[in-house]
Amino acid sequence: MSRPVREPGEDLALAERLVRFGRTSGADEIEVGIGESDEFNVDVRLGEIENLIEAGSRYAGVRVIRDKKTAFASSSDLSEDALRRLIRNAVGRAELAQADEYAGLAELAATRVDPAALDIFDPEIPALEAKTKIGLALETERIALADKRITNSHGASFSTNEVRSVLAASNGFSGTYEKTYAGLSVGLQAGDTEDLVEDFWFSNQIHFRDLESPEQIARTAVARTVRQLHPRKIKTQHVPVIFEPLMTGSLLGFLFGCVSGTAVYQRATFLADKLGQAIGNDRITVIDDGLMPRRLGSGPFDSEGIPSRRTVVVERGVLKNFLCNAYAARKLGLQTTGNADGGGVGPNNFYLQPGPHSQAEIIRGCDKGLLLLRTLGHGLNSVTGDISRGAFGLWIEKGEIVHPVSEITISGNLGEVLRSVEMVGSDLEFRGSICGPTIKVTEMTVAGD
Amino acid sequence: MNNLATPRSFRFEDRTGLAANDWRKILDLALSSGADFAEIYLEYRESSAAHMEDDIIKDTSENVSLGLGIRVWTGEKTGYGYTNDLTWDKIRRTARSAAAVAAGPARAQSLDLRESPVDGRVYRALSPAHLAPFETRIDLVRRAYASCQKTDPAVKKVKATIQDSIQYVMIINSEGLLVRDARPLVKLTCVGIAERGALHEYGYSGGGGRVGLEYFADVLTPEAIGAEAAREALDLLDARDAPAGEMPVVLAPGHAGVLIHEAVGHLLEADFNRKKTSVFWNKGGKTIGTTAVTIYDDPTIPASRGSYAIDDEGTVPQKTLLIEKGVIRGLLQDKLSARLMNRPLTGHGRRQDYTDFPIPRMANTYIERGEQDPEEILRSVKKGFYAERFTGGQVEDSGKFTFSVSSGWLIENGRRTAPVKQATLIGSNVEILRQVEMIGSDLTFGLQTGTCSKEGQDVPVNDGCPTLKISAMTVGGRQ
Repeated sequence: MSRPVREPGEDLALAERLVRFGRTSGADEIEVGIGESDEFNVDVRLGEIENLIEAGSRYAGVRVIRDKKTAFASSSDLSEDALRRLIRNAVGRAELAQADEYAGLAELAATRVDPAALDIFDPEIPALEAKTKIGLALETERIALADKRITNSHGASFSTNEVRSVLAASNGFSGTYEKTYAGLSVGLQAGDTEDLVEDFWFSNQIHFRDLESPEQIARTAVARTVRQLHPRKIKTQHVPVIFEPLMTGSLLGFLFGCVSGTAVYQRATFLADKLGQAIGNDRITVIDDGLMPRRLGSGPFDSEGIPSRRTVVVERGVLKNFLCNAYAARKLGLQTTGNADGGGVGPNNFYLQPGPHSQAEIIRGCDKGLLLLRTLGHGLNSVTGDISRGAFGLWIEKGEIVHPVSEITISGNLGEVLRSVEMVGSDLEFRGSICGPTIKVTEMTVAGD
Repeated sequence: MNNLATPRSFRFEDRTGLAANDWRKILDLALSSGADFAEIYLEYRESSAAHMEDDIIKDTSENVSLGLGIRVWTGEKTGYGYTNDLTWDKIRRTARSAAAVAAGPARAQSLDLRESPVDGRVYRALSPAHLAPFETRIDLVRRAYASCQKTDPAVKKVKATIQDSIQYVMIINSEGLLVRDARPLVKLTCVGIAERGALHEYGYSGGGGRVGLEYFADVLTPEAIGAEAAREALDLLDARDAPAGEMPVVLAPGHAGVLIHEAVGHLLEADFNRKKTSVFWNKGGKTIGTTAVTIYDDPTIPASRGSYAIDDEGTVPQKTLLIEKGVIRGLLQDKLSARLMNRPLTGHGRRQDYTDFPIPRMANTYIERGEQDPEEILRSVKKGFYAERFTGGQVEDSGKFTFSVSSGWLIENGRRTAPVKQATLIGSNVEILRQVEMIGSDLTFGLQTGTCSKEGQDVPVNDGCPTLKISAMTVGGRQ
């Protein structure tokens, strides 16, 4: 789809107008965000296009505060009349909430981050021809299906998104930036119907040129799928578990939920009282950094207009900072960390610092244990830190991978896991906004027969 | 301050200024590159929410979603475009985007549009939430909150939320279909966190459905919801770690319907079978479970969260038999799969909103009641696990599934003895259906708060099941 007909700056002017309208309608404070996105997605399967999506959309979100009482509103109807009605409603509805001394917009920051320095807009993406995009998906699936061991395909997809974000607020903030995304993925099955295994591989980037090639993605997806063929069951036991990078990422996603300022003031996290204390061993350093050039989680400001920054969350095992928006920060007597995301708290680039070991070295050093490939299910409890999930893995004996295992569960506790990380891999890659390298954990419960 | 100007009805014609003739022009434009089917899906949804924590009504919100999606088919290919800018130019551009999946001269023309009436009796909203004063909704939140908090001093933190929406849809296609629906939905939920020393535990409950606010007087009170959330958190303070290993498992009636949803429902969605990625694709008419097992999906259950008068393709849904006495009898169909598989429609084509095209989805999935007394089922287990409350599940096409148990009991000598917490059950659906050994007479439906995710689309669902005994299943606890 070609670029929209709106002039650059038109949405910013609209947001600023709506802020003024809100103030004259009785809001003490008001914040208006407008997002616009142009999406392309193609799914191909067995060599044919299955779905082709091209679309553009806009969306507005509003926060109004009157007498320390808050109301939110949002709309995909961007007509100015509809938005004015929504703001008037919100100003009226604010009365229905109760005064909350912590309510309010963020304080206007003294500094700004230059979006250009972050390099998060790739002009090549809007210019890509549909033929090129479709071709990449077809090529990826074709290479994967050429492998005789692959028996069926979930299809391959190529997608791009161009997003323009605008924010204006009554504290004087006014800003806008553009960001691009591109992604290529393929999902595969191997084995016959009675012994089916499946997996996928993907690459997501801000810049088109940073994507892995169709060849790399296809080969990785094939290898990840076929290595699970002919699994065995194992007896229930307590063994070391090695997390592959995507699994460490999933663990860090759980940690993120437990260090979010919102969860802390709601007492919905087992780490609520642990600021300044050791929550892991000295191999654990976790960073949230919104300023990394070309990374998926980077941006010049958060949804409250706070400039992005780098925050050390855990340093050599010690919990240094909770991640906060303005509200959570006020509740907790802390500073906002530039993690406001809608009404809540979201990650920028949230990652575990890599260590010195290759994954091969970590496996070689494991006498008996589980290499965790994938998990299934939702068994994460941030209130207790308890982990209990379905799992797929490879069994390790004497430093060698001996066979795949399935229909097992792993369970443990995030606190115990962070204290018992024995080795940290060097293989950190930024595939999403939350990521980590391979890690080896001393012991978890692996339940089988 | 209740003049939120929510319309009692919504006419897309008024909002867009477009009439039947214009829609046909759009359909013909969508067909102009050689597609053989075109469809316009218009959606207007107003949602609102009120939220209480820290003993105050913290905030309220209102969301308006308005947009349309245009879909075309050419053979097995789908082209899709959507926009929330409902101007003539933007709608035409969206039609052309969707049409781009086909290449060639026009082959089909749209038929005359004829509006079909829709029977909305499945919705049971005498006093629809979206028309009630906001204060009335806030009062329900306060009552649930207060009830949870006062259950026990150990309850240290409470959150209560009410969410409601009214979704107006209009579906028009090149086969001459024009239908409208207005779908109410409400849910009141409560979370309690209980603390004792260093122990923290979490409890959750809720209710709602395709109902009005009278539900919270007639069916389930906010007080009951609040007390149940507190009860779960308090029970867990006394619970020990769940066992680990393979053992007989008894599933409590109601919430355990999520097992049927994960282990069976998803893999009987037609798309996975058409593409032969589901382990069930070649098992139609074959026995895959014990004769005790009969499973339906029924989008027509009055007032239930997963129900609808028409699906998101305009099909009137039917109670669909999926498994009869252990034999696969049916699939959940949308129009595309039904056409490509040459099967009848079942009315299970659903979408999250106008930005998505429909795919086969569940509505209200349940396992039919059996004959056994639940007590008798319990008595038959010498040593095992009783799974009582659940937080969700997941399945992949290979049939491997998990579901997460937040609380349960040890069973020893036919009795529930010690409360236990947090375990994941894992299995393969092919095996588990063969291991359903006993089915209770106590069919119960879940909380009316469930949401199912598939391919990035969330839709409201519900599920149900009677007490079930699975002869052996892997329980992933820590002991």
